[in-house]
This record gives sequence, C-alpha cells and structure tokens, in this order.
Amino acid sequence: MSLSATPLTPEVVSKDGNAMVLSMGPQHPSTHGVLQIMLEIEGENIVKAEPEIGYLHTGIEKNCEAQFWSTAQTNVERMDYLAPSNNAFCYALAVEKLLGITSDIPERAQLIRVLNAELTRIASHCVWLGTGGIDLGALSVFFYTFDLRENILDLQESSGGARMHPNYIRVGGVNGDLPDGYAERLDALIEKFPGRMRDLRALLQANPILQDRMIDVGIMTPEDAVQWNVTGPSLRASGVAYDVRKAYPYSGYETYDFDVPTREEGDSYARFLVRLDEMEESMRIVEQVRDRLRKTPGPVMIDDTKVAPPPKETIALSMEALIHHFKYMTEGFRVPPGDVYQATESPRGELAYYIVSDGGNRPYRVRTRPPSMYNLQSLKGMAPGNLIADLVVMIGSLDPVFGEVDR
Amino acid sequence: MPSTQSPPLLGGAIDPTAVRPPIDDAIIERVEPSRVHDRLAQLKAEGYTMLLDAGAADYPQRAPRFDVVYHLLKMPLRKSSVTEVGRPQRYRLLCGVPEERAILPTATDLWKSADWAEREIFDLFGITFEGHPDLRRIQMPNDWEGYPLRKDYPLRGPARERSPRPAFALKTNVNAGTPPSGRTLEALQAQIAKARNA
Repeated sequence: MSLSATPLTPEVVSKDGNAMVLSMGPQHPSTHGVLQIMLEIEGENIVKAEPEIGYLHTGIEKNCEAQFWSTAQTNVERMDYLAPSNNAFCYALAVEKLLGITSDIPERAQLIRVLNAELTRIASHCVWLGTGGIDLGALSVFFYTFDLRENILDLQESSGGARMHPNYIRVGGVNGDLPDGYAERLDALIEKFPGRMRDLRALLQANPILQDRMIDVGIMTPEDAVQWNVTGPSLRASGVAYDVRKAYPYSGYETYDFDVPTREEGDSYARFLVRLDEMEESMRIVEQVRDRLRKTPGPVMIDDTKVAPPPKETIALSMEALIHHFKYMTEGFRVPPGDVYQATESPRGELAYYIVSDGGNRPYRVRTRPPSMYNLQSLKGMAPGNLIADLVVMIGSLDPVFGEVDR
Repeated sequence: MPSTQSPPLLGGAIDPTAVRPPIDDAIIERVEPSRVHDRLAQLKAEGYTMLLDAGAADYPQRAPRFDVVYHLLKMPLRKSSVTEVGRPQRYRLLCGVPEERAILPTATDLWKSADWAEREIFDLFGITFEGHPDLRRIQMPNDWEGYPLRKDYPLRGPARERSPRPAFALKTNVNAGTPPSGRTLEALQAQIAKARNA
C-alpha cells in the first residue's frame, strides 16, 4: 500500500494540457474490494493504470510461521475467502508431500476433497458472476447466483460446520465423514443446477447490452497472458489450455472425465464464457464424485495418530489415544525438513504453496503463489487504450479477490 | 489454540533446502547472485516463458542469509490445446543473497510479471532489485520501518512488542494457592476445624 511514486505536480497532472491523474478507489463499488488504481487519463481514455494494493494486508504468511502445521491451515483459508476449500486443499497437499504420505490418503477422503474443491469453484464463480453483473447494471443476476451459492454454502455448513470457512480439508484427509442427508441435498443441487445455468445463460450470454460492454474490451493475446503470468480462466480465455488439474493431476483428477473450456478471443466476453463453461464442467466432476462416493465407503482420515488426531470416540476408551490427542493438540506434529512447491487449480488460476520446513512443529516459511495478484497485475498491460468505464469490466473479468492479492 | 508466544520446537535444519533430495518434479538449480540474471535470460531463451512466482525465505543461521526462489514454467506462447500444453516442465532457481549485500539484478526486463513479485520481496524482506523501474513498498505503508517477513522481526510488530504487557496478563500477578475468594490458607483451615468440632 503506497501512493503513486510520482507526486501529483502540475507537470504530471497536465502533461500537454490534456492528461490528468485520477485516483480510483480504494473505496469504489466496482473494485470488488479495497483496490486503488492510479489512472493517467486523457479525456476518457486511459493512458496508464497503476493498481495500488496492500490495503488488506494482514500478514497471513507471517502468522503461519507462528502456528502449528495443523492450525496454520485455518489461516490460509482466509486468503481466498471466496474459495476457502481450495486454499486448504493446496496447503494440505503440500504438507502431505513434505511428510511423504501423499499415497496414504484414503480414497474416500480424496473424493470428498475433490467434491469440496469443485463445489467451491462453482460457488466462487457464482459470486464473480453476480458481482460482475452488478458492475454492468444487471442487478437481478446477483439474486439468481447467490441463491445457487447459498445451496452450496449449506452443503459446506453441514459437512464442515461453517458456511464461509469450513476448515474441513485437513492434513491427512478431511475432518469427519459427510453427514446424514448430505447425499440427498447434493442430489437436489445437481438436479437444480442445469436449469439455473440455462436461466443465467438466457439472461446474460445473448444479452446485447452485455455483449456491447464486454466484446473486444481488455484483449489479451496468449503472449501477453504468459508474459504477465496470468493463469486460470483468464489464461484459457486467451486460448492456452493450461489447467493444473490436467497438467499435474492431484487427488485423482486424471480419473475424472472433464474438459478444459477455452476461447480464442481473449477479451472480457471470452473470460466470461470460459467461467460459465467451467461451472458446468465442475458440475460434471461433482456428479462423477457423487457416483463414486456411493461405492467407496471407508475412512476419511489417515490412520496415523502422529499426523491426525485420533477419533474422538477412542479418547475415552484408550490411554494411547488420549496421549496422542494431548500431544497433537499441545505440540502439533513435526514435518521432515525440506522445501516443496505444490500447485493446484483454484477458481482464479494456479494457486501454489512454496513451503519450507526446518523439521519443527511449525511451518518455517509459507509462500503463496497468489493467482489473483498476478492476474490483477496484468491490468497494467490491459487497461491503456481503453475507456474508464471499461476498466470496471476488465477488473470484473479478472475476478481478483483481495484477501489473496494482499494476504 | 497454541500460544503464539511459546517458542517453536526447532528443527535442526539450518538450510532446509539442502538436506533432502528434491521431492518435486521441477528441475532445481542454485546460482550465485552475480549469475542469476544471465541464467534467467538463458532459461527464458530455452523456452521457460513464464515466471510463475518469485518469493523469498530467510535463514538467519546460514551464510548467505536469504534465498530468492524463482519458479519458471515452460509454456507455449500461442493458442494451444490441453494435449499441446501437456505437462509443462517446471524449473526452480534458488539464489542465495547475503545480508551485507542484499542486492539482486531485476528480472523485469525479461518478464513484466516480475514487477510486483520483486516489489513484494523488497517490501517484506528488504532485498533490493537493481534496475527495477518502480521499487517501493507494495503491501506495507510507505513509511513502514523494518521488513516483516524476516525472522528477527517480531510477530506482533516492534511497537507492540516494546510496550509492556498489561498487569493482569503477567504470571507473577497470580498468587498460586490463594483461594479465589481471597481467604488465606490459615483462615480456610480454621474454618474446616471449626466445622469438624461443631
């Protein structure tokens, strides 16, 4: 967080009589968070755009270093607050890789993790679609998407215990099996989803106002996108079909049948369509997980009391379980020294953790590769030459989440 | 919830990146600060078109104190399908930076995306990037002192760490053994004896 490097002297404010500097944000309804953009404009045309971030910096990476390996998980979920399960998923995978227990995670736990990751992806895209619609004046979309998101949050609440930050995916598996009645509610959601997507597409996709606002706005060529380090749906809208789930499958993603939606145009409308398609692909994965969950009973947590707390019901009966529980809660567990880079596909792109362990019971360093931050940075290359009004569309089409940009 | 005040169970590893064979599928290489820019340019020419991330870590016990870690990815620069992208090769370049001369050449001339990554390392670790077009703090306020992600930077910040803890939070304030009502042990025993005799 800092003001522009160049002080607003009269020479800067009016270079050749026309240019001026405009500060947009940090409190602006369509910046989707506390984002300030220092704009250099000529009339309504943007000459230069410099996003200023850091207003939401909370020192999550520093905080993680003071927590146990297990409790740091609660912190990382707060980064991308629209897709908390994806953060927890990536962190758990990274720590498991350091522990060397990647292959020991029970099958059912992996299914539930994928289920949660994909449901969260749909919920996250729902927020993007709703708020993106508001940016363009389509107010009613918000209610349709948030209704759908509410169903997913209800599922999250029933399985993890909390709507927003369930902390359900843990190192070693997930925290408890799915509750009774979950399958029926999931069935209801799967049944409801296609109709709701039809409604949304009918409302938006062929809408001439929306097309006018989005087509040819904020064009990114594949070279630009790679140069600016853009990942996720925004990269795929430029035609590069890089999806971590396909390129480096984790938790059995290679066994699911799903496509990677891409577009060639690279403009805001393409990014919009890719995300819509992605929601449907995610639902395809969810359906496959549902069918497999029926056939796959079994534990949902690794059977290793050094890494996972022993089941609650054994604590009252077994002395060893009580000791393990006490040790786990007061000292945490140790992780062998080493460093690891684990990448996953979050709703915003390649979310990765570079984690260093010195062999102790707390993470030595937790470096996040924040997809939102790098996607947002590409605004510097994308915005010049466009109108101020289109900037709102471009920010919306990149879908940044500021908890993750600033961390 | 563990107390953040209690010291961590320290592992012995002074340089965790060196003690273990790599468990990633990335190619890992370590270079000197003087060679890092050449090496990055070379790798970019070899097809590592994407600078996925640049981060840092602080190892106070080690000889070059900091590590700056570049993660590169071999990505096609054109429209390409899933099979064409395939499984792009990852490359991890580690560069030890000594505390006395915490300066690295910038990579912004190779990748535009290095801009914010380097600003963040500068902001949180105090490593300067020579030739960076706009090197200033990015997450912390401009007038902030110190580099928060260094290991010797206190968790709650220097200002709060200096201030005395409130009296009620001090252990010495709690007189162990005093009954909560304020009665002394003698008074309690007298009361018990009285009750027995009655």
